[in-house]
Amino acid sequence: MPEAVSLLYQFGTNAAFLLLSALGLIVILGMMNIINLAHGEFMMLGAYAATASVQRGVPFPLAVLIAAVAVGLFGVVIERLIVRRFYGRELGALVVTWGISLILGQGALLLFGPFMPPIAIPGGAVALGDYSFSVYWLFLIVLCGVLLAALAFVYRATRFGLQARAAMQNARMARALGIRVDRIYMATFALGAALAGLSGALLAPTTSIAPFMGQQFVAPAFITVVVGGGASVIGGALGSSGLLSLVQTPVAFLFGTFSGTLALLLTALVVIRLLPGGVSSIGRYFTRRSLAAAR
Amino acid sequence: MSVAAASRAAPRGSGLARLLNGPHDIGRTPGAWAVLAAGLASFLVYPHWATAFQATNVAYYLLNIPMALGLSLLWGYGGVLSFGQVAFFAVAGYVYGIVAGNLPDAPWGTWLGVVSGLGASAALAAVFGYFIFYARVAAWIVPILTLVLALLLSTFLGLTAGSMWTVGQVPLGGYNGMTGIPALQVGTLTFQDYAFYYLTVGVVVLCYIGLRAWVNAHRGQVLMAIREDTLRTELLGYDVRREQLRAFVLAATLAGVSGLLYVQWGNYITPSVTGLQQAALPVVWVAVGGRDSLLAVAICTFLLNQLSYVLSSAGNQYALVIIGALLVAVMMFAPEGIVVTLARRTWRRRR
Amino acid sequence: MDTPTPSKDAAAPDAAEAAATGPRRRDVLVAGLATAGAVLARPAIVRAASETPVKVGFIEDESGNLSIYGVQKLHAAQLAVQEINDGYTLAGGPVGMGGLGSDGMYAPKAPLLTASGSKLDVIDAGGTPSQKGIVVSDDQEILVKSGEKGLLGRPVNLVSADGQSNNTLWQQLARRMIQQDQVDVLVAGFASAEREAIRPIVDQRKQLYFYTNQYEGGVADSHTFCTGAVCEQQVIPVMQYMVEKFGPKIFTIAANYNFGQLTASWVRSFAPVLKAKVIGEEFPPLEVSEFSSVIARVQQAKPDWVMTLLVGQNQSNYYPQAAAAGLHLPMASTINMAQGYEHKRFKPPSLANMHNAVNYMQEIPTKRNQDFVQRFYKMFPNDPYLGQMAQNTYFSIHLYAKAARLAGTTDQEKVRRTLEAGWTIEAPEGSVFLEPATHHATHYIRLAVANAKHEISFVREWPSIEPWWLQRLGVNLARTPEKKQYTPDDDPFFKMFK
Repeated sequence: MPEAVSLLYQFGTNAAFLLLSALGLIVILGMMNIINLAHGEFMMLGAYAATASVQRGVPFPLAVLIAAVAVGLFGVVIERLIVRRFYGRELGALVVTWGISLILGQGALLLFGPFMPPIAIPGGAVALGDYSFSVYWLFLIVLCGVLLAALAFVYRATRFGLQARAAMQNARMARALGIRVDRIYMATFALGAALAGLSGALLAPTTSIAPFMGQQFVAPAFITVVVGGGASVIGGALGSSGLLSLVQTPVAFLFGTFSGTLALLLTALVVIRLLPGGVSSIGRYFTRRSLAAAR
Repeated sequence: MSVAAASRAAPRGSGLARLLNGPHDIGRTPGAWAVLAAGLASFLVYPHWATAFQATNVAYYLLNIPMALGLSLLWGYGGVLSFGQVAFFAVAGYVYGIVAGNLPDAPWGTWLGVVSGLGASAALAAVFGYFIFYARVAAWIVPILTLVLALLLSTFLGLTAGSMWTVGQVPLGGYNGMTGIPALQVGTLTFQDYAFYYLTVGVVVLCYIGLRAWVNAHRGQVLMAIREDTLRTELLGYDVRREQLRAFVLAATLAGVSGLLYVQWGNYITPSVTGLQQAALPVVWVAVGGRDSLLAVAICTFLLNQLSYVLSSAGNQYALVIIGALLVAVMMFAPEGIVVTLARRTWRRRR
Repeated sequence: MDTPTPSKDAAAPDAAEAAATGPRRRDVLVAGLATAGAVLARPAIVRAASETPVKVGFIEDESGNLSIYGVQKLHAAQLAVQEINDGYTLAGGPVGMGGLGSDGMYAPKAPLLTASGSKLDVIDAGGTPSQKGIVVSDDQEILVKSGEKGLLGRPVNLVSADGQSNNTLWQQLARRMIQQDQVDVLVAGFASAEREAIRPIVDQRKQLYFYTNQYEGGVADSHTFCTGAVCEQQVIPVMQYMVEKFGPKIFTIAANYNFGQLTASWVRSFAPVLKAKVIGEEFPPLEVSEFSSVIARVQQAKPDWVMTLLVGQNQSNYYPQAAAAGLHLPMASTINMAQGYEHKRFKPPSLANMHNAVNYMQEIPTKRNQDFVQRFYKMFPNDPYLGQMAQNTYFSIHLYAKAARLAGTTDQEKVRRTLEAGWTIEAPEGSVFLEPATHHATHYIRLAVANAKHEISFVREWPSIEPWWLQRLGVNLARTPEKKQYTPDDDPFFKMFK
């Protein structure tokens, strides 16, 4: 029994890690089709903002919100100055965001030094048999679900979401209908950046705070979004993180972490060969509702 | 004029000169050719006033050009961006190291290494490319998949530290890399220092001329047609998947050429050559130079390699910031590439 | 006594300027040595200004992933060069094959270990329980006058470059240092991959080279001197202590690359010697940063203690994650804390109960070390930590200067032969002996433990542990030149425990 719970917990943390890594990218890559290679650095900024706030006595939950807002505002600046010139030019955006990531990573090193004092992980541990589980990770697993649900709600059930989908699918038509596409793009990019900052801040206590910490999230984030596919980015990300950690967790538990990582990458390749549209294209068979927003 | 007609119009007999002067690269005026010839001549005489160290260093700036040219072909001319050219670079280097290292006494050992290194790169590209192009995945997924390939290879090679990863007499060496890779030999001549410099210059010139002819020939034009309109090209009777795969394999082989030159240069290779940092560099060189011009890419690869070395050997912590800022600035103000933009301006003024 | 203060810029070789700086606060100098030094110092200044500098080539990662280690090494090198230019050296000298016992400031009385071991950490030779099992005459000054400002009448110049954590760049920079700058000695390398990247170039050009990092051991190279601690000096002591104190069941978590795998094979092979057993091993790749599976496997295996050989940014996340998941097993390591100052970087109690057999940490309470720490932070007040590889770099540069001074030349072959005389040098950690046959150093090893507040205490000391493994393999570089790195696979002993 404790073994089963432990496996379930590992599955949950693996999936939550993938989802949190991918959260901002779901919006920026999945919805806007901007290949944002500075994604990891956005998360790093979130972690830095949260850490700096906690050091000044701000309680951790508030610090997380501050981080999200700060990185969101930073996203607005980046979007206005740079990224807006690259809509529709995915490969140009890829190169320019790589440049931004270099500047942010090394810039953080020059400004703040090689590391920041860390944040203690909130919450203790609960024990069950031989195993014990971090309360904070359990909270993160739940929070992931809440965040995704909220994102899905915004995207599908609000006026902003409707306009955003329209703008992403056909900008000219949307403009003709009186939607201020420019604003929508800016707001969506800011939302993606804020989510990246939020998840960076949430993951900050579990990692060491350093200028190049963002790199660890890049590969998981891209794999999650790509395997999820474009038919429905939110559902796809949920499905892909579930599928990937479903493969990774037992393999890692039985054969070690390396085998787990290898299994994750191979699964990603196989899924893409078999389902070029990603996991979310399975859903399309059943719902027949094509939301090819990311194409 | 259709693609097929264009290729039929291309002359056959004394075709190379015509192909070289075809429309698909910058630098077609007699003046431009004169500048190119002067540039080549200066590379040929450079060792006369350079130390062996300086010549080897310049050779290092040059040796990445074949890989960059391959990516230019694939991305600029074919519209397919690969983020994983370094994987083929690494495979060629490692396979060369294994083959040449196991045949230290055979006079042809190093040359067998060259053939098998290039063969391995091409074979890996063929298999991987089959998965990508025959699955017809969306264009924006290709860079991410190739990046995953590069990272996977880097991770795998990093794990080969144990003795079970010794191939013949050559240990793969894990994260610390493979050391003591023998240099190319012909008779008693070992390609090091000045000899290596001339070898590199020769290979780079051959790769450039070959590719320039290729993009102006039939195959190159089909590739550009696919970039412009995949569906129409397919309806004209071309197998788009096969053409893309062919370009992918060619680009991978060129990355392999760079990998081979790299192991000649340092007699050493590590998994980090296919890591995240390195994987992005070819994309940077190609994008900054101007991806749809082979010449621009070659020039820019040389200059950026030099810049990065100069900045870092001065102990400058701002090296990465400067390169990043350069990248952002170029993409914003000269999105066609800085070399291409400058060349076009000069050309217009002359007119 | 009139002694100058080290100025901030160590790279500036101007000896005259250095001589003009103000008096030093230090007043505890060994009188005899100082007097001799003062007599010789004057004419050296005059000569120094007119001569070309002695070039100490130095490559470290000042930017990129590994910069948290590289910057403190650079600063330690700058301090050493400054002290040489100011007319100082570390005490010590060539002692031949006799090792530490024949010279050195104190003769260590080896600690006797109890058979039961669980209650007492150390007892002294008379059988009385004691926190300090050795007699150390610790109050002597190790920084003494060298007799000249600079080296051989020439100022010493630190030629430093930033490797940016990039192996290819390391090769380029090594070539530049050797071929273009023609440095007299090269001091470089953090990661083993960096050392292996430049070692072929070093050997090809016969460059005198110091590698100052703690590493997995095994480098037998005529042109390379490895002054950091190696596996046999760290792994076995820390295992011995852990097995005595906590029990025989070991779980190893090691980074899946050369260093981690090789060190893990030391743990595996020496566990039977200590009547212990490795009951589980886990090799996470360097890219992994989320450790719930690893933690669950450890919990399932129920070891007495965990050997963590984790490397790099991502892997250090293991500690806070394990602490948060309620995994509070005692931990042992050979790298953490002394290298990446994790006990300063992570919130307590992530590293509570971490044990490491170190050759140096800035917390070592001896007077000679506290003086050194004070000198370092006076020059670099904003540095976060002074770790073991920074200390190794510091004494290695002093050691080079001493050897060159004795050789009377900076000719690399001659300096190398002089170093092979067997040298004792009084480093901040204690007396260090450079073993001629293997080009490795005997170290003063201390067992450092972090408590729940991440305060460091030293619970056991081994005043002199030899780098015996290469000797065991029959390496004698003074007689037979070599340039290979041995691995446990070359040793039949390790093959028994595969």
